[in-house]
Parts: sequence; C-alpha cells; structure tokens
Amino acid sequence: MARKVAVVGTGQTRHGKRQDVSYPEMIREAVVAALEDAGLGWEHIDAVVCGSMPPPMEGTNAPHLWWADAMGAGGKPLLRVATCGTTGISIAHAAYYHVASGLFDVVLAVGAEKQYEGESQGTMTTVGEPFFQRQFVAGAPGVFAYQCNEYAHRYHLDEERVRAAAAEIAVRNHVDALDNPFAHLRQRITVEDVLRSRVLAYPIRLLDCCPASDGACAVIFAAGEVAPRITRTPAWVAGVGYAGEEHWVGDSDKVWWQSARQAALQAYRMAGITDPLEQLDVAELYNPFSFQELIFYELFGFCGPGEGCRLVEEGVVRRGGKLPCDPSGGVLCTNPIGATGLIRVAEAAMQVTGKAGAHQVEGARTALAHAIGGTQQINGVMILTSLD
Amino acid sequence: MEPRILKDTIALPYQWALGPVNTRFFQEFKERRIFGTRCPKCGRVLVPARAFCARCFVPLDEWVQVRDEGTIKTWTYVAYSYVGQPMQPPYVSALIQLDGADTAIPHLVAGFDLSNLEEVRARIRVGTRVRAVWREDTEGTILDIRYFEPV
Amino acid sequence: MPGKVAVVSWAQTEYREAHDATIREMVFRVAREALDRAGLTREELGTVITASSDYWQGISCSNEYYLDAAGGYLKSGAKAEEDGALAFMYAFMRVASGHFDTALVVAVTKGSEIPPLATLTHLYSEPFFQRPMGIDDVNAAAMQARLYMERYGATPEQFARVVVKNLGNARRNPLAFRKATLTVEEVLRSPVVADPLREPDVAPGADGACAVLLAGEETAKRLTDRPVWVRGVGWSVSSYYLGDRDLLDGSLPDAARRAYRMAGITDPRAEIRVAELCEAYSFQELLWCEQLGFCGPGEGARLLEEGVTAPDGDLPVNPSGGVLAGNPYCARGLVRIAEAAAQVAGRAGEHQVEGVRTALAHSYHGLAGQLHSVVILGR
Repeated sequence: MARKVAVVGTGQTRHGKRQDVSYPEMIREAVVAALEDAGLGWEHIDAVVCGSMPPPMEGTNAPHLWWADAMGAGGKPLLRVATCGTTGISIAHAAYYHVASGLFDVVLAVGAEKQYEGESQGTMTTVGEPFFQRQFVAGAPGVFAYQCNEYAHRYHLDEERVRAAAAEIAVRNHVDALDNPFAHLRQRITVEDVLRSRVLAYPIRLLDCCPASDGACAVIFAAGEVAPRITRTPAWVAGVGYAGEEHWVGDSDKVWWQSARQAALQAYRMAGITDPLEQLDVAELYNPFSFQELIFYELFGFCGPGEGCRLVEEGVVRRGGKLPCDPSGGVLCTNPIGATGLIRVAEAAMQVTGKAGAHQVEGARTALAHAIGGTQQINGVMILTSLD
Repeated sequence: MEPRILKDTIALPYQWALGPVNTRFFQEFKERRIFGTRCPKCGRVLVPARAFCARCFVPLDEWVQVRDEGTIKTWTYVAYSYVGQPMQPPYVSALIQLDGADTAIPHLVAGFDLSNLEEVRARIRVGTRVRAVWREDTEGTILDIRYFEPV
Repeated sequence: MPGKVAVVSWAQTEYREAHDATIREMVFRVAREALDRAGLTREELGTVITASSDYWQGISCSNEYYLDAAGGYLKSGAKAEEDGALAFMYAFMRVASGHFDTALVVAVTKGSEIPPLATLTHLYSEPFFQRPMGIDDVNAAAMQARLYMERYGATPEQFARVVVKNLGNARRNPLAFRKATLTVEEVLRSPVVADPLREPDVAPGADGACAVLLAGEETAKRLTDRPVWVRGVGWSVSSYYLGDRDLLDGSLPDAARRAYRMAGITDPRAEIRVAELCEAYSFQELLWCEQLGFCGPGEGARLLEEGVTAPDGDLPVNPSGGVLAGNPYCARGLVRIAEAAAQVAGRAGEHQVEGVRTALAHSYHGLAGQLHSVVILGR
C-alpha cells in the first residue's frame, strides 16, 4: 500500500503589501518559519517543490530559478509546479507524491506571489486563448460572477436570499481574519457594508472579493517512518484529489461543477470519508468570491444541491458550528494566489494539530483544504488528519 | 531604510497560428455563419468548431451550422477595469448557447442602456433570448459579432 | 523503495520551424497516438502531467489551454513548468507511489509563435542585477564556453565537430528539424552569435510536442511486449547567480549521481550504451559528457575525436541529432527521454544504435545549465 505522508511543519509570511522585501526575501521568511516550526535544518530537506501564478504577473520568467537560493534548494532536486489558481494545492500534491513515491523522506513545499509587482488582472485575462475567450472572460471576478448568477437560477433560489448568505460569508471571513496574525485584510465589516460596497461584476461587490496580496507559504512533508521523530503532532495526509475540465468555459456545467465534485470524491475515497459533515471538523475552502463558497458546500457534500444558503443561515459553517469553514479568514481576506492553495493546506494542518492559535477550532481532528483555478476549470483537494 | 521600488514595463510580441479548424471557422464567421463540429460518439455539437472531443477523445470532422441566435446561460455586469478589456466598463459579459449548439460561448450583450445596473437586471437574466449584431465590415475575428442584443 | 515503472509508448510530432496546428491540436495528436500505441483508452488512463510555460506560450496558465487535449478531462494531473523531463519525473513519482497505474506525460512548445529564446531567457534574469546587464541563455552559454576553452584548452573546432556529428545524425531522424551535411570549416565560417558561439552552435527554436506513457509493473507488461524500465532518476539545481557558480561544475554531477545510485550504475561509460543529451549549445555536449562521468574533466573533446560518441561508437551521444537539430523548448527534455526509450525498445528506426540495454536521457533549463535532470532507462 501507498507510503504514509504527513505535514510536519508550516510557515507563512505576514501577507499584504510587501514592498519591504524582494521576492526571494519574502520566500525566505516563509521557509525559515516552516523549518523552525518543524525543528529542522536546511540539511534535513531532501527535495523542494515550489510554484506561483503565471510568471508574467511578476515579470520574471521561470522564477523558481531565482528563488532557488532563498529556498535552500542548491544541490537538491527542485520542481516548479504551476496550475493557475490551484497552484498552491498542486504544490502540496507534488510534495506528497515526492514522499509517497519512496524517492524522498522530507520535502519542502513553497508557494508565493507578489501581486503588487505586476498587473495581475491583466495577466489573468491572458489565461483565455486569444481567438475566442480572451476578449470576454473578464479577469477573475467576471468569470466567477458567471457562476454565481447561474447558481441562483439553477435552483430557483431567491436572489436576495443568496445575496444575504454570501454577505454573511464575507462578514464571517473578515471577522475570523482578525484572529489570524498572517491575514492581509484585518477589518471588521457588517452585512450592510457588503451590500453598500460597489459592484465589481454583478452580483459580486467589492467586499465579496478577495484582495490582491503579496505573501508566501512553506509546508514540510515527511514520510510516515520519519514524521513521528520530527514532531509529536504530525498532520497525516489522508486524502488527495484533483480534476480538470475543458479549456472552453462554456463546455461544462459550472454549478454542479464536476471538477470540484470529482476532486472531493477522489480525496474522500482515499480518506474513507462517506459523511463529510460528520467526519470533517474544519474546511479551508478557496473562496476568492463569497458567493462561490455556497456552491462548494454542495459539491463537497456538506449539504444537498441548492441547500448552501441553509448552512449559512443555520450557523453550521461558522466557528462554533458543526463544520467551521475558513477560520483563518480564508481567501477572501488573503490571496497571494500562488501561495493561497498551500496556505489552505497549512491552515488545515495547523487546525488538526492544535497550532492555529486564536483561530483554533476546538478539537479539530480532520480538515479539508481546497483550491480552484483556470477559467472555472480545475479543482484540487487535500484532507489532513491527526488521527493515526 | 525606505523600501525602494524599481519600475519597468515588459511588452512582448506573440503570433498565434489559428490552425486549420479555426481558420475555416473564421472564414465562415466572416460570412456571418457560425459552425460547430459534432462528436460521433457523444453526439454533442461543440461550438466553436474544433478538431477533437475532449471527453470522447476522438477527432471531429462533421461541421454543423448553428444559428446566430441563442439563450443566455449566465452573465455578469462588469464594472471594473483592467488591461486588455474588450470595451470600457460597464458592460455585460455572458455565456450564450446558440441554437443548435450543446456548448456556450462567451460574448458581450449590449444594444441598450448599460449605465444602470438595475435597468440591466430588468433586461437580462439567465434564459433571455439574444441574437448577434454583426459588424458591417467583418474581418474574421470573434469581434465580427459586435455584441448580442436581447430579442 | 519506489515501485517499478516503465515507459510503454511515446509519440512525437515532427519538429519544424512552424506547425499549422494549434497547441491544442498538436497535444491531442501526440496524446491520442501514445494511448493508441499502448491500446489504452482515455477512460482507463490514470493521470496526466504536462510541461509548458506561460511566457513560452503567450497564454497564461499554459496547461489550462490544453489539459483536456492531453486527455485530462476529469483526471488528476498537474503541470511541471519549463522542462518536459521534470514532468516525466513527476509522473514517475505518481506511478511509483502506487496511486496511479498509468500516467501520460505531454510537453509542448511552439517556437514560431513566441518571442525569441534570447528575449524570454533574458527574463530568467532578475530585474536588479543580471537583467540590466542583458544576461540571457545565449550569452551565459557563451561565457561558459569561453571558460571551458580557457580552463581545458577546448577549441571552436571541437565545438564545430559536435555540430557536424549531430546535424549529420539528424539526417537519419525523420522528425528532426535541422539536418545537414556540414564540414568543420563551414561551421567555423558561420556568423558569430556570441563569441565563441556561431550560428550552428546554437540550437534553433522549433515547434513540437511529445507524449510519453508510463505504467506500473503489471500494467506495463500487459500493455507492451517491450517495456522500457525507468531504472534511475535524478535532478538537481544550482545557485542562481552566474557569479556564484563554477559554470563548469554545476548541478549535473549531482543529478547524475542520484540517477546512477538508483539504477545501480557504477561505471557509466561502460554501462550506458547510448545517451540523448540536451546540448542547446554545441560545446555543452562535451561538458555534459564529462559531468555525467563518461570521461574526466576536460576530456569531452577526446571522447568525440576518438569516435566514442559517434553513432557507431561505444557510447553514441544524440543519435537523433539532439537539441541542435531542433529546440522545442519545453518539450526538448521529454523528447530526449522518448528517444532514449525508443533506443532501448529497438524502435528508433534509421538512427537505432545496436544492442542498447541501457540508455541515458538528460535535460536542463536555466542559464548555463542551472537545473539538470538525468533519467536511466533499461530493458
């Protein structure tokens, strides 16, 4: 059977506008923090995996070559993984397979972005090919707004009810971010603030939308045999799932979204999860836009199709509820995109090992981390647990 | 020390080959005809026309004309700016399923006052019927359709 | 211990100055062909790992443009950026882990659609120190070549001999882009690109795609009567700044050591029958031969002059014509692996080397060879 793998250390930078440091210096911060968390030295790392969004966002091609020294990768195997918005979770997956393959025992995973160094919306528009889609898939907010509008229509939901639930999610994330010292946006907001903020791409308003952040995250993965020697609290990788769809945004259903569904089902199968609402204690979902999170509740089996609003209304998905989502404040408050999926993994690992500090979910044992990417095209999931 | 920033702009030339399928598609498009290709296995008509079905993984060569009218599958009202936009915001971007097609294409919806979101919401919803408004002087690009307007 | 993994099939486009087809169409073609050769359906395929890069495509999140064309619809997968050989490494690990039974690796670049290699690799240089000095792949290689001449007495004539051999070899490879019957004198009369490198010393950009199908032990035996076993893999990166490194002693020996140890190879010169190297600049073939342990430092040219690396030598290097015969940038590393697999399987056609039991494939990217990889394939 497959080799066991655990997260044994995590590190994050303070996220936000980080013009105080160069790209490699910022990465160094996260890597040093992860090594300290794991109690490891550079010499203990067998291989390095890293990634970020399209290099045109920061204007340096193949940036892993530049980052190599900051990651301590010299004289070691280095792999750059880049899968658009899912990059962060793809980095975690790649590190997992590095160890699971038996080739390496301890692998460092690094994700980073410096959105303040380039034109990120303009770059993201070039994800569309130039013949048919580039002209119309309006950066990130536009393409995801498509999905939000289709969702309400599909299930004949009262638009005002969906609007209210999304605003609640935005408020919850912003409040939770106040307890996360790494978070970018740290401001208390109300539902009224969300509804009064300006429209970016209907129905998405400014406070429904993630910020553009600079930041880095590092996570150390170790083999089952060595993890218990590194830490008393390994976060075991219980499930891994990933799926992609056609390039054409109009080819497949983005409401009953198969790449998200299949990514979760793969991870659940591997983790032996049959009742996610019961078996998961916390979820770090990838919600750059508040509305989208409703869809993920359904696709990940936290509730039935069209029932996402109910989970918000009943308080199921807030801290103190049955399945708190995004206790870190989530993507809505911090989005250094190439790091974002990996931050979800780091936060999930922190939760199941009791290291999440002020935003700790009491008694969390099993957590789900998630990321999306492309023009609504790809999804990745990783499940971590402290249960041996 | 004050943090310092080095500023520069990078502009790079690219020249993407359309390939035989897109070339033929746009030849027809220039004449205001829209084509898809039908998959012999799943039977779906995929628009725009393409060389293979990604699901059945077979080559496609049966060209099928679809109408320049269709239904809005979903839409958004874009009110923010970025480099490379097709027009000045605000504007409506939508996924439109043309009659005869099994897939939807992204395009613009316009032809009425776009300055007020509430008025736009009154005109546009998922399911609204739209038809293409073609340019007079078509060139063989996707913007030969200026936009779709509500029927 | 990693599980046993084999290459079971592969497919390549021709390498040309320009293909009419789009990247999606080229990828579909090689993916479909590799699956067909193994008799595997897309539904049965386990996972898809690809290689490409955003600047090298002009379409950001480059793999999102073609992941469905590579068979990836609703499959698990990822993209390893910049070098198809690294996508191969990742796919190998996925199969070796036991999580997937089969993995399709696809790599693609259309050189005809993008800015020149010098422009895009100039952007490898960070904006503060190397970029303002104009450091790119070509002039970094030229500095490496100059150092190689100074330290070991290597000569432009020797570099030219690599060109003559490889473009000559390419004549027997129907897929090669640049093939020629040249003399050393003709190479030496060509225009200088960056002294001491002349035009034929520099690999020409090309359009091309390559696919390689990997399978776990039992499945491999079911899919082919000639599985090509992945016996060793290794990759390694150097420091970034050119001034921090010895340009003649980079990360390649470390990558090779890792692959040899895994494959149980102690005497590479004797145990490896054929090698496909990433000689993006002619002299690099000589240097890489040394760093791979085929000979001692500074002895690469002797290996060439003694005919060891000729197609009929003891250790033919780049019988396909190598990267000098065509440089589809992100695909070039996977092409080396496909060519090495073809040699082991005895399916290399006109450029088949006799009696190949063990083959080596090498690739790199990064200025003067910052990130190298080595794969050992065998019967």
